[in-house]
Amino acid sequence: MNARAASMLALLCATGSGLAVAHSAPNSFVKLSFLAQSVRAEMLVPESELAIATAAEGASEPIATYLLRHLAAETPQGVAWKVEVRSFSHTTYLEHAYLSAQVEFTPPAGAQAGAFVLLDDAVTHEVRNHVVVVLARAAAKPALLGALQYPARRLTIQRPVQK
Amino acid sequence: MIIAEVSALIWLVQWIADKKGLSMQRRWSVTVMSGFLIAAASVAHSADAPCAKPSTGNGEVRAVIAAIQGLEKMLSAEQTKSLERPFVRDSAIRWSNLPVGIVPREGLRLGDLDEKQVHAMRGVAAAALSACGLKMLDDIRIADTFLKAVDERKIGWDGGNYYMSILGTPSERTPWMLQIGGHHIAYNFTFNGSREGATPLFFGTEPIHFNAADVDYEPLVAQSAAMSKLAQALAKQADAKLSGTFTDVVKGVVVIPVAGKMPTGGTDTGFPQTYPTGTTDRGIQYRVLSPAQQALVRAAIESYASLPGAAITRGLVAAYEATSALAETYVGYSGAPDLSTEHSYVRIDGPRIWMELVVQKAVADPTALHYHALWRDKQSDYGGEISH
Repeated sequence: MNARAASMLALLCATGSGLAVAHSAPNSFVKLSFLAQSVRAEMLVPESELAIATAAEGASEPIATYLLRHLAAETPQGVAWKVEVRSFSHTTYLEHAYLSAQVEFTPPAGAQAGAFVLLDDAVTHEVRNHVVVVLARAAAKPALLGALQYPARRLTIQRPVQK
Repeated sequence: MIIAEVSALIWLVQWIADKKGLSMQRRWSVTVMSGFLIAAASVAHSADAPCAKPSTGNGEVRAVIAAIQGLEKMLSAEQTKSLERPFVRDSAIRWSNLPVGIVPREGLRLGDLDEKQVHAMRGVAAAALSACGLKMLDDIRIADTFLKAVDERKIGWDGGNYYMSILGTPSERTPWMLQIGGHHIAYNFTFNGSREGATPLFFGTEPIHFNAADVDYEPLVAQSAAMSKLAQALAKQADAKLSGTFTDVVKGVVVIPVAGKMPTGGTDTGFPQTYPTGTTDRGIQYRVLSPAQQALVRAAIESYASLPGAAITRGLVAAYEATSALAETYVGYSGAPDLSTEHSYVRIDGPRIWMELVVQKAVADPTALHYHALWRDKQSDYGGEISH
C-alpha cells in the first residue's frame, strides 16, 4: 500500500465511523502536483460510476488501458503529452469505493509543464451528471482549477501562482 | 385522522428516544415540534388536490414579511441572530441535497423551536409556499424522521434538521431571500430581485412512500407522477430518449474530499451553471409533440412551479409556457419511463426552464429507491441577484 492509499485509509477510519454520504453519485477528483519536468496526478474515480461507464462500452480490457483511452494531455497548441499510469490502489472515502490511479503527464520537448489541456471522459462519456473536479495540490488548501461534465472533456490547466 | 397521525408520531418519537436515551425534556421538545408538523401535514392531506387551495400568503412579499415579523417576536436574540444572514453569494448558495451530517446548514434550526415558535415559523412557510409546497416540506421532514428510526448512522436524518434563514433585510422593494431547507428540500426564494426568484429549488424523498402508523405518505407524488406520465407518453418516440446514464440530477451540488478532514463543497458552488445548447441529445422538441403530450409537459412544469406561492411563480410559469418558449423547449427521458428502476430520469429543458427528476438507490435501505428533483431557471436563479 502506498502512502496516499494509507492516508486515505486513515481518513476512512477518521470519518467513516458511522458517517455516510447519503448521496448515490460520487464524483471524480484529479489532484495535480506540478513538478519541474512533469505533472503528477492522483485520480480518484468512484468505482460505482466507473463500472457504469465501462459496462456501457462493453470494455473488458485492463483498467490502465481503459483509462489511457479516455485520458490525455496536450499542449495548448495540440501536441500530445506522454501519459503513464504508474499504479493503482483501491480506497474508500465516506463509504464510497474509489479507484485511485497515480498518473504521470510529461510534456513534449520544449513545452512548459505548467500549462496544458487535460482531456478526461473516463466516466463522463456515459454518466451525464458526473463531474470531474480538478484540483492543484497545495500545502494548505487544494486550489480548484476547474471541472468537467458531459459534454465537456477538455479543461485548460494553468499552474496556479504560488502565494 | 389527525389523532391517528399524532399518535403515530408520538410512538415513533418515543421509540427513537428509547433507543437514543434522550431525557424527558428533550423527548417532549421533539414530540411537540413533530406533533405540530404531523398535525399540520394531515390537514393538507385532507385536500383532494394538493395544490387546490392557496396558502395563507400565497407568496406575496407583504404577507411573508408580516409572518417573519411575527416569528422574530417569538425568538431570543441568539435565535434571531441565527435566522438573519447577509444576502451575499456565500450565504445564498449554501443549500444542498446532502444531509446535515455531511453539509452542515446555517440558519434557525426548526427542531430547536418551542411550540409557539414552531407555529410562527410555519406561518412564514405558509406565507411563502403554496399548500402543495407546504405539504411537501412537512412530508419530507416526516420522511427524515422516519429514516432516523431505521438507519442509525450519524447521517443527520431528522425532521428537526431543517433550517430557515433570512438573507438581507425583508423589504417590499429591495432584494432579499428566504431560505427553508435541510437534507431533501431547498427552497430559495428571492423577493424584489431583478428577475423572478423561485429557484434553485431542490427536493427529494427517501423513502419514496412510507407508512407511519396507518398514514400513507408519498411526498413527491404529484411531481413524480407528472414526470412519469410525460416520459411514458414519449416512450415510443426515439428522439425523446436521452443518451447516457443518470445517477443523480445533472445540475446539483458537488462535494470535494479533503484528506483527513470532512469534505468541503456540497453547496451550489457551481453556480452559474452551463446548460446544453443546440439540438443534440436534449430530447424531443415540444413543438413536434401531440396536443396531449404537450399538455403533459405543461402539467409537469406546473407540478414543480406550484410549490412556491403563486405570487413567486406566476411570472415564471407564464415565461415557460409562452408559445415562443415552448417552441424551443425539449423534453427527454432515460431509463424506465414509469420511474420503476434506478437511474430513470426525466428532464424539461427550455430557454429558461431546467427541471429534472432522477431515481436513485436509497441510502437507508439500499434495496429501495429514492428521488432527487431539481428546478433551476437559466436566467433567474437567486432572482438574478447573485453573480459568480
